[in-house]
Amino acid sequence: MNIERIQRDSPPTAKRRFRLGYDKTTGLLLISPWLVGFFLFKLLPILASFGLSFTNFYLLEPGQTRFVGLENYARLLEDEAVGFLIVATISTAISTIPLQLVASTLLAALLSSPRLKARTALRTLFFLPSIIPSVAILFMWFGFTDPNVGWLNRFILRPLGLTGFNDLYSDAAYALLIAINSLWAIGPGMLIMLAAMQSVSSEIQEAARVDGAGPLLRFFRITLPLITPAIFFALVINLIAVFGGVILLDRGNTFRGGASPFDSYITYWIFERWQLGYAASLAWLFFALVMVVIVILFTTSHRWVYYPDRGD
Amino acid sequence: MQTQSTPPKAVVPHTYVSLRRWELLGTALFNLLILTLLIAYLFPILYIISTAFMESAQLRDRNAPPYPARQVRFEYEGKERMVYNVPFAEGQRQLALVAPGRTSSEFVDPQNPEAGLIQWEGNWRILVGVYEFHWTWENFNLLFRSLRLPQMLRNTWLLAFITEIGVLLSSIVVAYGFARFPLPGGNFLFYLMIATILIPENVTLIPTYYIFARVLHWDGSWLPLVVPFFFGNAVYIFLLRQNFRSIPKEMDEAAMLDGAGPIRTLFSVILPQSWPVVITVSLLHFFYMWNETRQAALYLSTRRDLIPVSFGIQNFQSLSPVINQLEASALLIMIVPVLVLLLSQRHFMRNLVITGAER
Repeated sequence: MNIERIQRDSPPTAKRRFRLGYDKTTGLLLISPWLVGFFLFKLLPILASFGLSFTNFYLLEPGQTRFVGLENYARLLEDEAVGFLIVATISTAISTIPLQLVASTLLAALLSSPRLKARTALRTLFFLPSIIPSVAILFMWFGFTDPNVGWLNRFILRPLGLTGFNDLYSDAAYALLIAINSLWAIGPGMLIMLAAMQSVSSEIQEAARVDGAGPLLRFFRITLPLITPAIFFALVINLIAVFGGVILLDRGNTFRGGASPFDSYITYWIFERWQLGYAASLAWLFFALVMVVIVILFTTSHRWVYYPDRGD
Repeated sequence: MQTQSTPPKAVVPHTYVSLRRWELLGTALFNLLILTLLIAYLFPILYIISTAFMESAQLRDRNAPPYPARQVRFEYEGKERMVYNVPFAEGQRQLALVAPGRTSSEFVDPQNPEAGLIQWEGNWRILVGVYEFHWTWENFNLLFRSLRLPQMLRNTWLLAFITEIGVLLSSIVVAYGFARFPLPGGNFLFYLMIATILIPENVTLIPTYYIFARVLHWDGSWLPLVVPFFFGNAVYIFLLRQNFRSIPKEMDEAAMLDGAGPIRTLFSVILPQSWPVVITVSLLHFFYMWNETRQAALYLSTRRDLIPVSFGIQNFQSLSPVINQLEASALLIMIVPVLVLLLSQRHFMRNLVITGAER
């Protein structure tokens, strides 16, 4: 209202300037770096790889390239590795994401307690493993879990009376490694939840406390519903990480070769077999898989994520 | 009504004190719990630090302590003898092994070598050695000898610096556009940008690699690693935009009314209030650049003089199978991000606005 009055009273030049400041052209101009980048580095490559997936493009003989229709996609269905990788990716998601979400929510709740001393330092130290480069992490786990001289068997499992594991290359050891490693990547999610928890109004908490709600009840009935946007964000971060993508914090490749098993399989077809057409169809299958999961996630989010102002 | 004569004051302070005591005990226990949790969580880091300073001989020894150590030696008759804990009927003695044998061995007492040899019945291989703290720089020396670390570090710093400028400038300007300006199609472009975050890298990898390496011949240069960052980064734009929007719009409207253009408003009104998120974004980008190996592996494998330190360390690790050298390289590569995080802990990811709900 104030501004309208000023506008009405001020000379026409100022009015025009004010309008000029907020027009669509300026907006487009400001976002143009991203728009150009989007066309050059996202849209064009995606379309190109879609086109490529219908050809037999072979890097050593680019001249021989021809249109092969759905041949690559038919080949996908017969490739045993593809089914295996999809199952592996989904089972990794199921075994790590709930663990990560529970751990980061719990940790954020503990770290937001006013009883805790040196909260900033603790928050940093719990975050610390998430910034350690994967180059450093890979061999740390191999050494740490070594059956003979590793610390996990010698100083944790055996003193606790457990047998420890003897074969580093067994499925159980690998699953354990994936789970522990996923716990070492919860930093960004934890910090986002921590920020969300600290913004939960203390009046509501106090009112509930006066009404006789204990800490657990208050956590589950007040804090948790109010921080669902942060939980949703953490869920998306963790999900994308399983698919080999990166949001917020990139520590480089995870286990051997690629960011995810599927990723390294695609890289194998590109750089070791040079069959770019088939690799492109693999990438597109993967892309479709990710998009299905994301669409399911976003369309169901309104059922459990709390949006205070829909105007945003 | 006689009960009224008992003064209630006598009761209240008592419960108050005991409540306070319980409160303090609870706080202490809670802090102890968190501390234990922290130590357990960071335990593998201790493994890296400790192993990086170990000699190779300790790695194969199952009885060795977790800290860098070596077995105590004792010189006897011109030769170095290992010292073991030897059990006797009257108790354990620390003796140097002179003549090992399967059923009986001969030892000498380091405290009193003149007393001569001591006979012990049993297999010497079951004995546990006596260890002393002993650490070595050798693993790090090897790294410095086999890698051109100063050059790689310079490469990483330069890459981080150049891309930092590019990604910050472009992301800030774009985020400002998304935060404050009407755009054709309403929020469509913003949601499109969010969607690009979720696109797996390998979908765009093949054409991008082909164009960068085969068409533009940027292979063997920093261009493929640097140029894309001058077009903004969707995650950073998202974070900056959400935080810009939490600044009251009246403030930049006032500046615009005073005749400031959009860029001037951005730099004199919006940015001065957004330092926490700008610092967070620049740190996130620094961590990314420091850890980056994928792009370097794609485009820089032919130019050894241009590779960043993370890729150099990765190459080293693929050659060296010994765990103490691997952990030394791990310690070397993690020390910089860890220090940066510790120094910036008051600003990193503080007050991040993810949805409209916070603040």
